[in-house]
Amino acid sequence: MEMELFSAAFFSALFAIILIDLVLAGDNALVIGLVARNLPKHLQRKVIFWGTFGAIAIRVVMTLMVVWILKVPGFMLAGGIALVWIAYKLLSPQSDAGAAHAAAAPAASFAGAIRTIVIADAVMGIDNVLGIGGAAHGSVLLIVLGLAISVPIVVWGSQLVIKLVDRYPSVILLGGAVLAWTGYSMIVREPLVTPWFAEHTSAKLLIAVLVFAIALAPWFTARLPAQLQALVVLLPAVMVWMLAFEVAASVWQVRVDYLLATTTGEYLLEGVRWLGWLPLAAGLLWLRERSTRRNRRLAGG
Amino acid sequence: MLLIRRSARAANAVRNMSPGEELFVASVVFCMLLAAFGDAGNPTVLDALGFEFLIADLGGEMSLLAVGHWHLIEFLLGGAILAGVITALQILAAAFLRSLSPAASRGIDKVPIQP
Repeated sequence: MEMELFSAAFFSALFAIILIDLVLAGDNALVIGLVARNLPKHLQRKVIFWGTFGAIAIRVVMTLMVVWILKVPGFMLAGGIALVWIAYKLLSPQSDAGAAHAAAAPAASFAGAIRTIVIADAVMGIDNVLGIGGAAHGSVLLIVLGLAISVPIVVWGSQLVIKLVDRYPSVILLGGAVLAWTGYSMIVREPLVTPWFAEHTSAKLLIAVLVFAIALAPWFTARLPAQLQALVVLLPAVMVWMLAFEVAASVWQVRVDYLLATTTGEYLLEGVRWLGWLPLAAGLLWLRERSTRRNRRLAGG
Repeated sequence: MLLIRRSARAANAVRNMSPGEELFVASVVFCMLLAAFGDAGNPTVLDALGFEFLIADLGGEMSLLAVGHWHLIEFLLGGAILAGVITALQILAAAFLRSLSPAASRGIDKVPIQP
C-alpha cells in the first residue's frame, strides 16, 4: 500500500512500529552479557560489538523478509492470527519474570558466542518483525525508519525502556491493543478473503470483536471477579458461533441476513443463529462450574 | 526473554495500571472497535431494510468522522478525548449525587431550620 510521506497515516504507522518494537523487544543486552561472561576479557569486548552488530543485522534482514513473505497469499491471514496470539501472550501476567534468561548458556569461543547471540535474537525477534511487517503496510521506508529509531533505544537504552514500562504499565496494554488492531487489519487485508469480506460486511465487525476479545482476555480476566471469569471465554465463543453462520451462508449458498428472512427455513436459521448460542453458553458455564467444584473437592482431599 | 519482563510491574501490567491509564486504553480500544464498525457498516443494508433515515443520521455521522479510516494517532487522540469526557462526567455526576444526599444531622454544613 502506497502511503503519503509525512501524512497522519505515515506517522501513525511509524508510531505503531516503534511501540511494537519497544513492547516486543528482546533482551539482547542480557543475552550478550550471559553468553560472553565466561570468555577471556579481550574477547568479551569483541563479542559485545559483533554480537550487537549481528543482532541488528539479523533483525533488519528478518524484517525485510517478512515484508516480502506477507505478499504471498495466505501469509497475511496467518500473520494476523499469530499477532492476536502474540498480543494475548504479551498481556498474560508472568509470575516468574526473568526466569527465561537462564536459557542463554555461556559460550566457549568467539564464533560460538556470536552464533548463540544471532540465533537467540532471531528466535526472540520473530514476533517483533511480524508485528512491524504488518504495521508497515509493505512500506520499506517505514520499516527502516522504525528500526533506525527503535534499535538504538533497545540496544543502548534498555534501562530507559524498563523504567518507562515500570512507571507506565499501560504502555504494554496499549502495545497489546495496537498488536490486536494490526492483526485485525492483516486478517481483513488478506487477498484470499477480501472478496468474501466485501460480500459479508458484518463478518468484519465480528472478526474485530473476536480479535479484541481474545487478545485482551488477560486484561478482562484480571478485572472480573472469579465467578464471572467464564464470560471471558463466552464472548469469543459467541463471535465464532455468529461467524460460523456467515461462513455456512457462503458454503451452502443460503441467505443469512439481518431481518431479511422470508421463508420458514430462513426464519428457523435466523432463530438458531440469534438464540442457538444460549444453550451452548449455558452448557459451557455448567461444565465449567462442575469442573471447578470437582477440582476443589479433589484439592480438599 | 522480552525486555519488558525484567520489570515486575510491567510483567503484570494488567494488574498494575492506574484507573486513569486503564480508562485511556479502554477508550482507545473503543475507538478501534468503532472504526471496525465504520469499516464494516454497509449503508445499502440499512437501505434494504427500510431504515433509510438511519443512513442520513448514523451513516452521515460515520462518514463525517470517517471513522472507518482512522489511524493510530487519531485513535490515541479520540481515546484521550473520550477518557477526558468520561472523567469529567464522572466528577460532575459525583458532585451532583453528593449534593442530593443530606448532610449529617450534627454536621457543620447543616443549615439550622428556624421555627
